Amino acid sequence: MNRFDRPAAVLSRGIGKVTSAALGPYQTAFIRIGFSATWLFFLLRELPNRHELYGPDGPWSWDLAHRLISDNEAFTALMWSDGRFWFECVYGLAIVSSALLMLGWRTRAMSVLFMVGALSVLNRSVFVGDGGDNVIHLMAMYLVLTRCGQVWSLDARRAARAARARGERFPEPDAVPGEAPAAAPVPAVRDRIGPVLWWVLGLALSVSTLLGVLTWGWALIFWTIWLAHGVWWLLGRNAPDSQLRTLFDVVANLLHNSALLVIMVEACLIYATAGWYKIQGSRWQDGTAAYYPLHLDYFSPWPALSQLLSANGTAVLLITYGTVIVQVAFPFTLFNRRVKNVLLAAMIFEHAMIAVLLGLPFFSLAMIVADAVFLPTGFLRRVGGWAARARGGLLARTRDVPGQRSGSGSGRGSGSDGVYGPDGSDEVHGPDDEGAEERSPQRGFTPRA
Amino acid sequence: MDGYEQGCGAGGQPSERRTGIAALSPPYQVAAALVLALLAVATCVHLAMVFLHVAPANTVSKRHGAAVDEWVYPEFEQNWKLFAPNPLQQNIAVEARAKLRTADGKVRHTGWHGLSAQDGAAIDGNLLPSHTQQNQLRRAWDYYASTHDTRNRPNGMRGELSEEYLRRIVVLRIGRDEPAEDMLHVQVRSVTTNVQPPSWSGEKLDSKPVIRQLPWWTVTSQDMEVRDR
Repeated sequence: MNRFDRPAAVLSRGIGKVTSAALGPYQTAFIRIGFSATWLFFLLRELPNRHELYGPDGPWSWDLAHRLISDNEAFTALMWSDGRFWFECVYGLAIVSSALLMLGWRTRAMSVLFMVGALSVLNRSVFVGDGGDNVIHLMAMYLVLTRCGQVWSLDARRAARAARARGERFPEPDAVPGEAPAAAPVPAVRDRIGPVLWWVLGLALSVSTLLGVLTWGWALIFWTIWLAHGVWWLLGRNAPDSQLRTLFDVVANLLHNSALLVIMVEACLIYATAGWYKIQGSRWQDGTAAYYPLHLDYFSPWPALSQLLSANGTAVLLITYGTVIVQVAFPFTLFNRRVKNVLLAAMIFEHAMIAVLLGLPFFSLAMIVADAVFLPTGFLRRVGGWAARARGGLLARTRDVPGQRSGSGSGRGSGSDGVYGPDGSDEVHGPDDEGAEERSPQRGFTPRA
Repeated sequence: MDGYEQGCGAGGQPSERRTGIAALSPPYQVAAALVLALLAVATCVHLAMVFLHVAPANTVSKRHGAAVDEWVYPEFEQNWKLFAPNPLQQNIAVEARAKLRTADGKVRHTGWHGLSAQDGAAIDGNLLPSHTQQNQLRRAWDYYASTHDTRNRPNGMRGELSEEYLRRIVVLRIGRDEPAEDMLHVQVRSVTTNVQPPSWSGEKLDSKPVIRQLPWWTVTSQDMEVRDR
């Protein structure tokens, strides 16, 4: 198992790895929470302005959008009817689905609804969007393909409880993906909500297909997802140890790992493009570029602060060059764990500054979340631990429920890694498999993340 | 490859249980291998297409531009030239005025409403600027400017859409200040002012604003819906 292995052995080990596990469970869970939270905050922020931005009678009227979308064929459920009520339904669906995806409730189904909501709203009015909307738009589609509810989700907690009910002390990491659409294979606890959700979504899909509002491409995609989840549920119930069930698992892992790779490359492309085009600009070369956005009326919510920051020529030069260096260098630093982490911290800091200084909070938040796909597992688990402790503290203060804790989570790592597990039992992934990855940073592509 | 995942986990049980593709019997392994190959190809093609989409026009993207566009539009469209190649160095302020029908049937001209200035004021001190303040008018003007020639002729369907869009924004915004009267016509102009280069650079730019004034547009009854929502 060292780097001098024959290429064939390396290849076969790689294939074994990408087929047997959905890699980066913490990273994908983090971006699931991050993107859905960003989108949720955005929708809530624009709640008072929703009619003006996306409604049928706004400046970009239903009729204008219809003429544009007939031409470019973008997907948006808001074009299915120009009624006020339908608009409220879709906007409401976007809010609810992002909240539930954030919590990891029926993650697979919610990720699809999240995509439907995000694409519907964003494609409805493309001319009010910015880079942040663009990131959300892309990631909403990629998230559908990932098993992003393996940890830090209500699904994972339910799966862990079901495993306990079956008498398994520790759920096997590979047996409980914790995000089956309808139900994880849990014969001990009968799941009713999952099948009901599946039938309801199937009905909605049938209606939209019969009404002819879906293009054939989207109809194919939605029906494939719906059928696959139904078959997955049946297999989990009737033949959990069958070869076909394992094949499904392998395909799901492959889809997840491909999508994760695409998400990572997408993040690199964003930085590479932003950096490389900057190099060509005279203002980025003469070191004054950072001065200008701070003096644009549309991007200076704090003019006094902007003046102060741009008063020193050398400081502006350093920020200007630093931005270009970091953006251009980022994709290459992925080959070195330590440098990568330093750059990540720098970029997250810069985006936090942009959020406030340029008045771009949602764009910055989306970019920070995209960066987070490269954060180390150990760090993410620690963040999860803090979150769990903060939540536990809050709960203890607000309500006193003695005797509610099962106590079975003791002795498992910190026992509070999961955001949602007051009993410390929501951990689907044992500390073993992740710990191993942490200690051998040169292997595979999750360790670097 | 079997047991690799478990075997090297520190403290993990030395399980011989096969996982992933190794757990499958030969026919299923073939199916899994096919899926793997398919996904590998699809991933590579997708990444190549997106790369060609965001990269500058080059030998390959010029030759296969149609295929790239076909793949990328409409859902994978993206633009990451953030403040690049150069950041915008001008403040473009959009202003508008209207002719209104007063209660006694006369026509009244309003003064210029500084719509971008209103946006700027709304953004000042705002931790969470809305898209209605930061993007709507700003991008509508960009859209108009990029789909019209200097004599304000639209470049086709998108140009016409941008004109109607901008008009409806103006009707909505002026309508907020002048809610009582019927709006007959509106006129839009942009006032572009250079951001003065930093003091240490020694550069000096013309500080006189450049004004681009569009013709008067007739407000339709449909446009008025946006105000009367």
